[in-house]
Amino acid sequence: MLRFLASRLARALLTIAMVVTFAFVVLRLSGDPALLIMSVDAPPEAIAAFRAAWGLDEPLWMQYVKYFGAIVQGDLGRSMRDGRDAIVLVTERIPATLALTLPALAIKIGIGIPAGIYAALHRNSLTDRLVMTLAVMGFTVPSFVLGLLLVLVFAVQLGWLPSGGDGTWRHAILPVVTLGIGGAAVLARFTRSAMLEVLGQPYIRTASAKGVPWRAVVRGHALPNAAIPTVTIIGFMVGSLIAGAVVVESVFSWPGVGRLLVVAVSNRDLAVVQCILLLVAATMVASNLIVDLLYGALDPRLRQARAGGAG
Amino acid sequence: MSDAVLPAVTAAPPRRRTRVPVAVAIGLGWIALMLAVALLADVISPYAYTALDLRNRLSAPVGIGGSWAHGLGTDELGRDVLSRLFHSIRMSLLIAFGATIIGAAFGTGMGFLAAHFRGWVEQAVLALVDFSASLPFLILALAVLAFFGNSLTLFVVLLGFHAWERYARIARGLAISAGAQGYAAAVRQLGARPLRVYWRHILPNIASTLIISMTLAFPEIILLESGLSFLGLGVQPPATSLGNMVGYGREYLTRAPWILLAPAFTIILTTLAISIVGDWLRDRLDPTLR
Amino acid sequence: MRAATLLEARDLVRRYVMRRGLLGRSVPVTAVAGLSLTLHRGRTLGLVGESGCGKSTTGRMVLGLEMPDAGSVAFEGRPMPPPGTAAWRALRARMQMVFQDPLGALDRRMTVAAQVAEPLDIHGVGGAAERADRVEALLRNVGLRPDQGARYPHELSGGQRQRVVLARALATSPAMLVCDEPISALDVSIQAQVMNLLVELQAEHGMALLFISHDLRAVRQVSERVAVMYLGTIVEEGEPDALLRDARHPYTQALVSAIPHPGRSDGRIVLQGDPPNPAARPSGCPFHPRCPVAVARCAQEAPVLRDHPGGRRVACHLADPAAFAEAA
Repeated sequence: MLRFLASRLARALLTIAMVVTFAFVVLRLSGDPALLIMSVDAPPEAIAAFRAAWGLDEPLWMQYVKYFGAIVQGDLGRSMRDGRDAIVLVTERIPATLALTLPALAIKIGIGIPAGIYAALHRNSLTDRLVMTLAVMGFTVPSFVLGLLLVLVFAVQLGWLPSGGDGTWRHAILPVVTLGIGGAAVLARFTRSAMLEVLGQPYIRTASAKGVPWRAVVRGHALPNAAIPTVTIIGFMVGSLIAGAVVVESVFSWPGVGRLLVVAVSNRDLAVVQCILLLVAATMVASNLIVDLLYGALDPRLRQARAGGAG
Repeated sequence: MSDAVLPAVTAAPPRRRTRVPVAVAIGLGWIALMLAVALLADVISPYAYTALDLRNRLSAPVGIGGSWAHGLGTDELGRDVLSRLFHSIRMSLLIAFGATIIGAAFGTGMGFLAAHFRGWVEQAVLALVDFSASLPFLILALAVLAFFGNSLTLFVVLLGFHAWERYARIARGLAISAGAQGYAAAVRQLGARPLRVYWRHILPNIASTLIISMTLAFPEIILLESGLSFLGLGVQPPATSLGNMVGYGREYLTRAPWILLAPAFTIILTTLAISIVGDWLRDRLDPTLR
Repeated sequence: MRAATLLEARDLVRRYVMRRGLLGRSVPVTAVAGLSLTLHRGRTLGLVGESGCGKSTTGRMVLGLEMPDAGSVAFEGRPMPPPGTAAWRALRARMQMVFQDPLGALDRRMTVAAQVAEPLDIHGVGGAAERADRVEALLRNVGLRPDQGARYPHELSGGQRQRVVLARALATSPAMLVCDEPISALDVSIQAQVMNLLVELQAEHGMALLFISHDLRAVRQVSERVAVMYLGTIVEEGEPDALLRDARHPYTQALVSAIPHPGRSDGRIVLQGDPPNPAARPSGCPFHPRCPVAVARCAQEAPVLRDHPGGRRVACHLADPAAFAEAA
């Protein structure tokens, strides 16, 4: 188990290192940031001073080493636009994003999983078909279209809710619903197929043939086993708590990390983009790690193997 | 010979012809319609998609007060929404096709490389696969796009990298199992060059799996393209795509919702149609892919 | 009468590294531990042993599909080129393999005729018309109708598929054919047909056969000589009838006694101990932990394969040729 953990951790660190390298390569390949930030007709001395200030006049490998070293020490650079620490700029946006993504996650899990289980247990029923049709719709309607349609109905036509911006909890309703519906559809579809797979297994048929009540079979055997693959996709959703709202935040002009990213990308603000990339990678990798650990807790075979190994 | 009379070969049972479900038939019909529109956009568009009609700005579609001159209405510059829609369909499908093919070719190639060379090549490919799978593609794409500026070629190539790792995984896995004990090893020991083994034997054998993966990735790429274009980071004016139309139409959401609704429903119906057809294909042809 | 030597393998050693888990320690596995064999033109050598004894690895090294870690393979007097080189590929036309699982060895997306034609295509033999004629002749040769060439592998029976594999292997008129368990995946009723076909084809085409099997009876039916393998080495070699009548190595004796014999009442020798594990080779004679007659020396010193009278070779301390000569 320790060895398993160590290899997982090594992989996670490798992924982070690759993201850092990716960010460095992409950002440095893309052209001279000095010319992008300064206007083209800026005096050469000013450009040179800018380069020196940001370390852009050093050889590339030197920049890379320094860059890597700085990140290891927790220094993620300063915004080239307003000179503040990128990490501060990004972290002060995180609460706003979480204010959307956490309730949305609750909607996804609260609606998606029960709907998927119900559809699987009543396969081919009218409800199953309805749930699956809605799930396919939820998957194929892009979030910006869904968001704008909601705005059109609830803000423009009915005037019940604000169409964008922030301030009150009422501003958050439409973006949260937009995020939640799409994710719930994906989760419902996934849970249903995981359940159906489990329900088709011989041990389920054996248990119900032995006379175990169907409810007990579902609760004791089917649900725990179907939970294993479902945890993976929930892990992915948790990992994208920070990055998952880029488009929706733009639709609703919500001042979160995603909005910041789009603006930073348009402004070519290297440090901020890198910082968000790293932050997103770190959350994804961390939630993957947690999923791996949960596997151990959920899968009785793994649990047994561990007990056997310890004893 | 001990068995001059061979037992008559029992022919494999003919593939059962099941009836195509209604939803799939409608989906196929819609896809065909979209392809026709994309191919004939220049011929069937009533106006050039950039033509201005300043006297008829923001005119409504037929049925809600508009005239037949502009069947789906016009936008803020008096450009015909129907004509723009046709050209947007062409652009979006073109990008999605290009990107899907690039992704499939690149991913399959990487998978074959990993399977052929094993060792560190395989480890490198697998590390890249892990890397791609562990980050939301939209974030990566945003970073690359904004910093490399924006050309259509770069955009298509970039979207091609969406889902490449799926093809790489499939191609590597299937090529390794074919080479370990199967037909690929048999052909190699006949003296065939690797190129022949991969091109003539392994590729045809895994083609159906790859094609199904392509039908699953295609709608995702349409959604990605339209999302990025919506954010103003994808297709740039004067060119137009479905997401781009929605993005610019958003400013007139209250006064002229038709600018936005026409492309929005086209996106939904097209991705829906391809998803339904893709799921159906997968269930019929390759039950292992789920 | 000695036929000309076609292939000579000397002191072949093949080790694999087996890894337990991602970061687990590596365990060296010796699949083949110093094995020599000679194939003569037009003759058949049978190679018998339990699964895991290294007989398939030996077959692959003899074909040059795998490089031995030590030792050498010489085909027609020249050393085997490394796999993947142009010389190696060209040599494929001269040596071919017949597989255990014919369905797995055939491409299910290609017609049978196209697959039989493939070696001709690869090695650039003849023009299109010539190739078509040759394919037809080959199909007839293995007992298939030419019209069956338009079929796909899954439309044929198991025995017919193995005939296709044989036709493909014979397309370039190879001098050597390695058959790795060619009948064990077939129905018992078909096995005899394919065995007979192999014998007929050998008589007609005159290629040498290396026949690998776990089944001593099958090997005996086709082979002029039989080599018995245990844990990567040959423990006994000789003519099949003599070997069956008078097995000298205790392992061969156990194998022979396991063949059911009508009218023979003496019990079969049941081997004690664990089945052989190539990851944990015993010291001395690899067979000694299971050997019913092992003595102290067997645990310390590995016996070498010695020539015995009558063209026999035996690797056992207790089967000393001198002792046999005295007894005889």
